[in-house]
Amino acid sequence: MATYVLAEFKDEAALCAAARRMRELGQKQLDAYSPVPVHGIDEALGLPKSKVPLIALIGGLSGAVGGYVMQWWMNGVDYPLNVANRGAHAPPANIPITFESAILLASIAIVLAVILLSGLPRLHHPVFDVEGFRTASLDGLWLSAEVPAAEGEGVVRELQKLGATQVERVAEEQR
Amino acid sequence: MSATRTNTALDRKGLDELEGAPVLVGRPSDKELTHELFQPVWGEMRRGWLALFGICVGVSGLLFAAIGYTFAKGIGAWGNNIPVAWGFGIINFVWWIGIGHAGTLISAILLLFQQKWRTSINRFAEAMTLFAVMQALLFPLIHLGRPQFFWWLFPYPSTLGVWPNFKSPLLWDVFAVSTYFTVSLLFWYVGLLPDLAALRDSSKKRGARIAYGIFALGWKGSAKAWRHYRIAYLLLAGLATPLVLSVHTIVSFDFAVSQLPGWHTTIFPPYFVAGAIFSGFAMVLTLIIPARKVFHFEHVITQRHLDNMAKVLLATGLMVSYGYMCEHFIAWYSGNKYESFVFFQTRQRGPFAPVYWLMMFCNVIVPQIFWSKRLRENLMVVWVASILVNVGMWTERFNIIVTSLHRDFLPSSWAMYRPTWVDWSIFVGTLGFFGALFLLFLRFVPSVSASEVKELRRELDHEAHAIAHPPAHGVGRGG
Amino acid sequence: MPSLTPPVPKLPIYGQPSSDGRRHWQSLDALAAEPATAPSPEFPEGADSPPDGLARRTFLQILGASTALASLDACRPPRQKIIPYVRPPEKPLLPNTAVHYASALTLNGYATGVLVTSYDGRPTKVEGNPDHPSSLGGVGMHELATLLDLYDPRRAKGFRRGQSTLAYRSLLRELSALAATHQADGGARLRFLLGANASPLLAELKKRIQQRFPRARFHAYEAAGHDAEREGARLAFGRALDVRHRLDEARVLLSLDADFLCHGPDGLRLAREFSAHRESGPEMSRLYVAEAHLSVTGAAADHRFRLKPSEVLGFGRAVAARLASTHGLGALAPLVGPTRLAREANAVADDLFRSRGRSLVLAGSRQPAAVHALAHALNAALGNAGRTVEYAPAVYDEATGPGELAALAADAAAGKIDTLVITAANPVYTAPGDVDLAAALAKVPNTIYLALREDETSPRCTWNLAAAHPFETWGDARGHDGTVSIVQPLIQPLFESLSEVEVLASFVDAADAGAWTILRESWQRRRGGGNFAGDWDRWLARGVVPDTATVAEPAAPRFDAVAAAVRAAPASAAGLEASFVPDTKLLDGRFAENAWLQELPDPITKITWDNAAYLAPATAKKLGVENGSKVELRLGGNKIEAAVWTVPGHAEDVVTLPLGYGRRRAGPVGTGVGFDVAPLRTAATPWFAPGLAVAPLGRAKHAFAPTQEHFSMEGRDIALLFDAKAFGPEKIEHLRGPVPTIQKPVDYSKEPYKWGMGIDLTKCTGCSSCAVACQAENNIPVVGKEQVLRSREMNWLRIDRYFTGSPEDPQLVAQPMMCQHCETAPCEYVCPVNATVHSDEGLNEMVYNRCVGTRYCSNNCPYKVRRFNFLDYRGDMSPTEKMVMNPDVTVRTRGVMEKCSYCVQRIERARIGSRVEGRKIKDGEFTTACAQACPANAIVFGNLADPESAVSKLHQSERRYDVLHELGTRPRTAYLVRLRNPNPELT
Repeated sequence: MATYVLAEFKDEAALCAAARRMRELGQKQLDAYSPVPVHGIDEALGLPKSKVPLIALIGGLSGAVGGYVMQWWMNGVDYPLNVANRGAHAPPANIPITFESAILLASIAIVLAVILLSGLPRLHHPVFDVEGFRTASLDGLWLSAEVPAAEGEGVVRELQKLGATQVERVAEEQR
Repeated sequence: MSATRTNTALDRKGLDELEGAPVLVGRPSDKELTHELFQPVWGEMRRGWLALFGICVGVSGLLFAAIGYTFAKGIGAWGNNIPVAWGFGIINFVWWIGIGHAGTLISAILLLFQQKWRTSINRFAEAMTLFAVMQALLFPLIHLGRPQFFWWLFPYPSTLGVWPNFKSPLLWDVFAVSTYFTVSLLFWYVGLLPDLAALRDSSKKRGARIAYGIFALGWKGSAKAWRHYRIAYLLLAGLATPLVLSVHTIVSFDFAVSQLPGWHTTIFPPYFVAGAIFSGFAMVLTLIIPARKVFHFEHVITQRHLDNMAKVLLATGLMVSYGYMCEHFIAWYSGNKYESFVFFQTRQRGPFAPVYWLMMFCNVIVPQIFWSKRLRENLMVVWVASILVNVGMWTERFNIIVTSLHRDFLPSSWAMYRPTWVDWSIFVGTLGFFGALFLLFLRFVPSVSASEVKELRRELDHEAHAIAHPPAHGVGRGG
Repeated sequence: MPSLTPPVPKLPIYGQPSSDGRRHWQSLDALAAEPATAPSPEFPEGADSPPDGLARRTFLQILGASTALASLDACRPPRQKIIPYVRPPEKPLLPNTAVHYASALTLNGYATGVLVTSYDGRPTKVEGNPDHPSSLGGVGMHELATLLDLYDPRRAKGFRRGQSTLAYRSLLRELSALAATHQADGGARLRFLLGANASPLLAELKKRIQQRFPRARFHAYEAAGHDAEREGARLAFGRALDVRHRLDEARVLLSLDADFLCHGPDGLRLAREFSAHRESGPEMSRLYVAEAHLSVTGAAADHRFRLKPSEVLGFGRAVAARLASTHGLGALAPLVGPTRLAREANAVADDLFRSRGRSLVLAGSRQPAAVHALAHALNAALGNAGRTVEYAPAVYDEATGPGELAALAADAAAGKIDTLVITAANPVYTAPGDVDLAAALAKVPNTIYLALREDETSPRCTWNLAAAHPFETWGDARGHDGTVSIVQPLIQPLFESLSEVEVLASFVDAADAGAWTILRESWQRRRGGGNFAGDWDRWLARGVVPDTATVAEPAAPRFDAVAAAVRAAPASAAGLEASFVPDTKLLDGRFAENAWLQELPDPITKITWDNAAYLAPATAKKLGVENGSKVELRLGGNKIEAAVWTVPGHAEDVVTLPLGYGRRRAGPVGTGVGFDVAPLRTAATPWFAPGLAVAPLGRAKHAFAPTQEHFSMEGRDIALLFDAKAFGPEKIEHLRGPVPTIQKPVDYSKEPYKWGMGIDLTKCTGCSSCAVACQAENNIPVVGKEQVLRSREMNWLRIDRYFTGSPEDPQLVAQPMMCQHCETAPCEYVCPVNATVHSDEGLNEMVYNRCVGTRYCSNNCPYKVRRFNFLDYRGDMSPTEKMVMNPDVTVRTRGVMEKCSYCVQRIERARIGSRVEGRKIKDGEFTTACAQACPANAIVFGNLADPESAVSKLHQSERRYDVLHELGTRPRTAYLVRLRNPNPELT
């Protein structure tokens, strides 16, 4: 059964420093919370590059291919008609829809990716139990470490040492 | 990053040229910003808001009554006829779609070009886009002779066995507009996430907390999420940019691809896009000037913003004028007797000539006043001008659609077009519906993105400190 | 249903073997063709004889309306006679198969032979009878539109005496009882007012009545009758003769106010003969027309002389003068007189003389006897008599003019009449202003009025009898040349009604036998000899009784008498002149309740749902009025209100007033439409009179609903008009042949059929028969004036009318315009749901059930020939109204696009027929409704894949061009330029 230790810091520098220190101390389950992206926090927490662009590319390509194939098959193969003497399969006329479907699928892929990769939607999270943590989305800067209950005390002390303005502990509810 | 360095440098140069008109007055703290920007949401409901909302709902009622009447009686309730088979329906469709372009343009293109001044107006503009496109989407549906079968436009395996005709620009429209609406919605929602979370966390009442909590999807502003979020937002902006250009291009194909004199011209795609941005920015100004006053956002939405938008109006207005010039030149230069007849007889001297000249006044003459700094700074002038431009763009669509149709190839089939009260009710009704949606937006969502303004403040701080060696951090959202 | 039970000899069907086994031929080709084998292979055994099959069910539907009204004793023989379905049917009688019956429709005394298409016992379409001399296969708008009257649910129903309704039998009893009361004084106080009708049967009945009531009197009245012709003949020849024109012989024609291509008993025939000689070359005929209002004939003229009606005589006399003085036709010397158009008159005279013997002078029925006499004199002097014009004993010779009506009214007013039987068409409404028939009728104790509908006359009469429609009754009629047709019913009377024959018969106690028996017996007597049944069937089947045409006889005019009459005729007076014309569509108003005709655009002005006071633009300016201005017209003591409409080419100082509008009791369709001008007419001057006063009435405008608002071609190559001499193919090189395209044209050469149409603008007179035929064939709805004002009329086939030249003396072109079936159709690629696509045979097909109604196709159609159902134009139709529908054509719903389909249903019928017989469709085997109706043969439809077909020939003609050719739409409908043949001396 794990425990979250939450520590609020007064500025970004302190936050990043703390993050780096905790990692040196071997803490793996670290995360930071802030109303706006904190510059340098990725490096501090050692987060890998995001996969979103790749997913977007896949979505876009499948949209384009799917869009074109759909038009070619429907008008050119499955039910060809003589429409105003134009060929049943008229590539120039198929460009707009190909383009639109590419954009559509790419965008949808991106949004799904960002939501799912960020572990959302998750309407409730243990850290929300900390009243003070509300500031995380307004003006506060928080660092969290997910540790076994036993190590909790140590981490708290460590964070206070690193200049946290306040430190909270919250136990993950029973599963 | 190097990219950032050069860009910020660019911005500073731009800043100087703008005689220091700031994009953010003062350096309010996050707390202050939160309090101030969420004020419209948490504050008391204003009597003025209620009154306005009531009126708009009433007018929307007129809209839906008129639509109901149309469905009951048939499309003949409108003024359409043969030869003018398209009337107000398509005029309003194109007009609203055009208005719907500024939002995405501001938030996407300006974002890519890292224009700081976009930050405090983009949410506003995006909301306007969404609501405008919603109005536009109504028309392709209700203008059908048999709206009960609108879904035949979508490629699904039907019992008829036949598929839609992908050669028809109208079908391209279906895809373009629905894509545009979906993407705009996603873009807007993604941008809204942090503020929804902030609303959740700043809420005093449990109900509000739950409501906003649901929409916030449990956003915590965690670094892990931010790193996906930032790139995703950029990518969406990158996709929205070509999209916004493609949408009105395709709308213009409805006309350009036909062979009707006055429609059949290659200048349409660029000239429609320019017109769209033109009318879009005009509508943003029409809405933002009063809103800014009411909510006291003067130092978030500063003189600089309005000034820039006025300049955009001037620029796009000139592009539109160039479009008109080209049309007339080609009509004369091509020696096509039908086209020259449309441009030099029907439009300028025909029964609808007043509409033509009104268009010329609103879209060509009016924007010229923005050459003058003094007039750009006079809010009243800017506001009236923006309204005139909206009128002008509506008359432009009227000219293109009705005037071209009512006198085409065979004089024997020429006839007049007279809109009915239903046409007018639906047009006015959409204005009311749009207004109602917009007022809801102002009341329940922060109309200025708090998180982005906070970010903007940070960047301005950074610049203030490190002019020589700009901060070594990523692009961020506002740039 | 007693009427259905006993098997009886079936009614012979046009073109089918009659009961006596002999075949009746439809046309010469049909005669050559082998008889069809029955029963047809495409139906399984027994499928063709359902005892309770579709046929009978439909028939019961048909009867539904009438059985409700008809009490049992109203059942009368010979109902069964007209039910072909009671016997196991032959091939043509299979359910939902078209059967053609020959019959005849009488207008104004003379009959036109028609073929009526009937499905399962309900007539759905009228065609011309190729075997009938007055039709030759063409058909006019009135014959076509009569069909709609048949199914009009607002028709008069049943019989009323005062307030009490009578059943059929009791009515006959009452009538003969009434007749008996006149026995004593030999019918001195018994009068009849009939319409003009040359029917032998009616003549016989009249004779029998006269025998029983020697002192009874028959009057006849037609608001637009042909008295003047007969009077003119009597003047010139001393006896009543019919004038028969032979335009196939004539090369130079002078029409003295004669609208012979459109009006008159032989209009269809003359139109065909005339158009036959509108081919470029030395044989091309030349037509001069002297008239006031621009008539269809005037529009076809090579030269039009704009004269007041009263000046026409003078013009004729001037022509005579020239012929007498310059060309030595001394006989004409006493006829001479002056005219203000001397130069023209001389040129015409010279031209007539140059081709004497092959020239022709025609006089219009509105012109007084003197003008007709003058025409006879001229024709005689020019040696035309016997060549381009023949004279035969009058088929019908009774005074039908307003004079008769005046006399009758006087007697009635003087209380000299106890019983008056009226079968004339609505005399109270059509009576001239100075004949107060309504008041006179009040003085007659028994006024018996037989009419198809409740009208202005009905409330004035004590007995109101519902008349049966011509398609519901037995009778006979005579064409313009005396040819007899047996009128056979196509359907049981939809409503309780009876025919004129039965009414008259009841006065000689013969009615109980029923019209069929009376008719048959009368013809049996007349013919004598054996095997009457065989002949009878043959007559019915072919639609004409052979050798009944009157024989032409030599006749020489008495020039002195003619001269006396001509000199006695009043000279033309200065000032405004009122000129009355029977309306092209409604005639004297008898068609005012016919929605097809009401909505049909006037051939010249394109106005629907209205008449107007027509005048020349110059005259309008002088009077300070413009299109739509309301005016008060005063003539003599009478005045009316009307709205004016200017017509280019109209004579100045003349106001033309079409009859037939402003009906006060004409149901929802006809009431209050247009302006009633009859009050201005007088019995003395029924057609034109000087001294008209026009006073504008304020600013308010009358809303006219023309289907065409712009009559100039704006210098575009649309409807081309050339002088025959000036024309050469090089003039239209740019309007034909292939156009550069990036799309490789679809190859149709593999297809056995490649449908196409050719329209010869030189032949087309714009008479509008095709438009009505199209409406009837394709179930095209009527939308009403309000929708026409919104320009939402639905006619698939419209006739564009363009004016060129000066507004005073314009040249006219009529251009039938319908879907051109472009091979690269702009309408097709813009439809998002593939609702309009191309067939393998090149038809531009409209798929109604796929259409969602974006209307994009119409926007992209350069010809704007597509029509859209903006509203539910069908509304809730009564069961009878539904019966007019052509079962082969879908009835379109609200919100779908529609347009000309090249009568695809006819193509498919022909295809089925040919496949059954294992052959290809032959050229001319079938054609579209418009082409079939066209009296002038201006429209030709057929297979372009067959180089020998008539339409291919047209497409290869040097006059062929495509409308809007430069757009590269490659239309399948080709037009042939209009050629005129002006007189060099006048140009």
